[in-house]
Amino acid sequence: MATVTFDGTTRYYAGNPVPAVDGLDLEVADGEFLVLVGPSGCGKSTTLRMLAGLEGIDDGAIRIGDRDVTNLPPKDRDIAMVFQNYALYPHMTVADNIGFHLKIAKMPKAERLERVREAAELLDLTPYLDRKPAKLSGGQRQRVAMGRAIVRRPQVFCMDEPLSNLDAKLRVQTRTQIASLQRRLGVTTIYVTHDQVEAMTMGDRVAVLKDGLLQQCDTPIGLFGKPANLFVAGFIGSPAMNLIPATVEGDSARVGGRPVQLTRDQVSALTSPSVVVGVRPEGWRILSPAEGIEATVEVVEELGSDQYLYCSSPVEQIGADANQFTVRAPGMSPWQRGDKLGLAPETGAVHLFDAETGARLPD
Amino acid sequence: MSSTVESKPAVAVRPVRTPPRKPKPAPGSRGFSPLRLLGMIFVWLFTAVNVLVLYWLVSASFKTPIEIFSKPFALPLQWFERGDPFRNFAYAWNNAGFGHAFVVTVVLVAVSSVVIVLVSAPAAYALSRLGVRGSNGLTNFVAIGMGIPFQTVVIPLFIGMGKLGLTNNLFGMFLIYVALSIPFTVFLLTGFFKSLPDELEEAAAIDGASPFRTFFAIMLPLTRGGLITALILNAIGLWNETLLAIVFLNENANFTLARALFSFYGAASYQSEYGGLIAGVAIVVLPMLVLYVLLARRIITGLTLGAGK
Repeated sequence: MATVTFDGTTRYYAGNPVPAVDGLDLEVADGEFLVLVGPSGCGKSTTLRMLAGLEGIDDGAIRIGDRDVTNLPPKDRDIAMVFQNYALYPHMTVADNIGFHLKIAKMPKAERLERVREAAELLDLTPYLDRKPAKLSGGQRQRVAMGRAIVRRPQVFCMDEPLSNLDAKLRVQTRTQIASLQRRLGVTTIYVTHDQVEAMTMGDRVAVLKDGLLQQCDTPIGLFGKPANLFVAGFIGSPAMNLIPATVEGDSARVGGRPVQLTRDQVSALTSPSVVVGVRPEGWRILSPAEGIEATVEVVEELGSDQYLYCSSPVEQIGADANQFTVRAPGMSPWQRGDKLGLAPETGAVHLFDAETGARLPD
Repeated sequence: MSSTVESKPAVAVRPVRTPPRKPKPAPGSRGFSPLRLLGMIFVWLFTAVNVLVLYWLVSASFKTPIEIFSKPFALPLQWFERGDPFRNFAYAWNNAGFGHAFVVTVVLVAVSSVVIVLVSAPAAYALSRLGVRGSNGLTNFVAIGMGIPFQTVVIPLFIGMGKLGLTNNLFGMFLIYVALSIPFTVFLLTGFFKSLPDELEEAAAIDGASPFRTFFAIMLPLTRGGLITALILNAIGLWNETLLAIVFLNENANFTLARALFSFYGAASYQSEYGGLIAGVAIVVLPMLVLYVLLARRIITGLTLGAGK
């Protein structure tokens, strides 16, 4: 059990002047489940691979507990890793796969078999110990990969998108299993994923990366409730937050002809009169067209428990779907394509960002 | 939408069906095309000619010289009538010194093939996976070795080996065989090692395996198919190798089968023992043919496995 500290950790790849991970400062507490999330190419896998010792560290340091592991080879770091494609040894049985590290560490056979048996029991793999990985289903392979990590009783688990090769239903099931297993074992875990649902449901804290830079590291609630900047606001939450640019006059911004009030602190924190108003789909009140921002329903997505309305509007938005408002309505609502409605943000549901810097304005 | 779906019984009953004798191929894949016809004709002609040659070889090895020339494609008769059908084989075996040559060849080919693979596998691993600077250039350099016909280097090779006192010497022959087979084998095996996923090495590194151990415990077992393919291809090639054996070996005690057959060819054709001569050819050729037939599937999967994916 140990903490993990990234201290200005930087990684360049050959032929690219922009670092893949740029001066990452991150402190992971003992026994914490930290999720690294971000779009592809953001440096989350590189971060994990640096911790595992599979990538060099060009600048800065990584510490596990009090040990500086920056220049240690993987085997001396006391970590275990679960790979995206599991990387099971195809010619070895499940038992040999799980026990390979212990065998290399020259653990006596009886003790080794006992440890393997324990790990297999924990993961319901006991009936498969004599099989080769090729004879296992995807979910079982994934559990073998987990077993290979658990059996070592390492200080840190590194997991690189371990669920992305499973089908949707199994993924949800395994997600819970991994999270509860980690809590039970209490091993510090760094988990990489591009799936924000995984990030939000599994992590004690979630670190959002973009272009090699750490954007925000907070609890899932903190991340969702108070995104630190425009990127995090747009990235976390599904469907994404509606982000509407507006101009501040006096102490209010006008969105679709409706005023949005700013506090004095917020006004003084602005670097220019441009502001971005963010409202999550569930943050809208649906009114009659005359009472709010005018919008026309284009697509109704019925999920049973909820309904998402994708509406067009004359009001501009930033992002790929300009002019499209996403609104959550109660499930089975009577909305239909072509219906006109008026939107107004609920009190407290407004997020304000500086349009120039992208930073969140003080609440 | 449940109202539009017809109500069905609670348990769906699967109607009785008769499956087609052969599942239908994808549309368009079985249509007639002139190219396809041409290809079929070519393949079958090629096969027919080869089968004919094989038939001629095997049948002639049971025939008297008169039969060979007068009825080249008839079934053998005369030696069977005289109650001595294997007479040609006995003649060849006794007169060509095949007994000794057989042992020499088996040992030489086996040792050479194994050593070739033992040397080439680590070389191929290092070239394809260790990421050493210049490894691409080195791989190409090794591959160039495949492009040089060994016939062109026979004379300088002979002079060099002569100075070392390694001509007419089975150890010298072994060295030449190993050296000349390495380029192809290394090239074949780099393909195999390249096809293995990087994560396996990384997983091994995290598990604490040394590079040495990673190679022997993880990577080598996974390329078993490639190693066996390399072993078989080398064994077949060396078994049939004649030119170098003729150049470098000139003492009966050192003769390989192919070399012994070459001497026997002179003696047998001088005595018009064509039946015996062809039986000699059969003795040399058939073991490899049998080996190939038994292992063909393995060889083909091995060759394609290295190439694709």
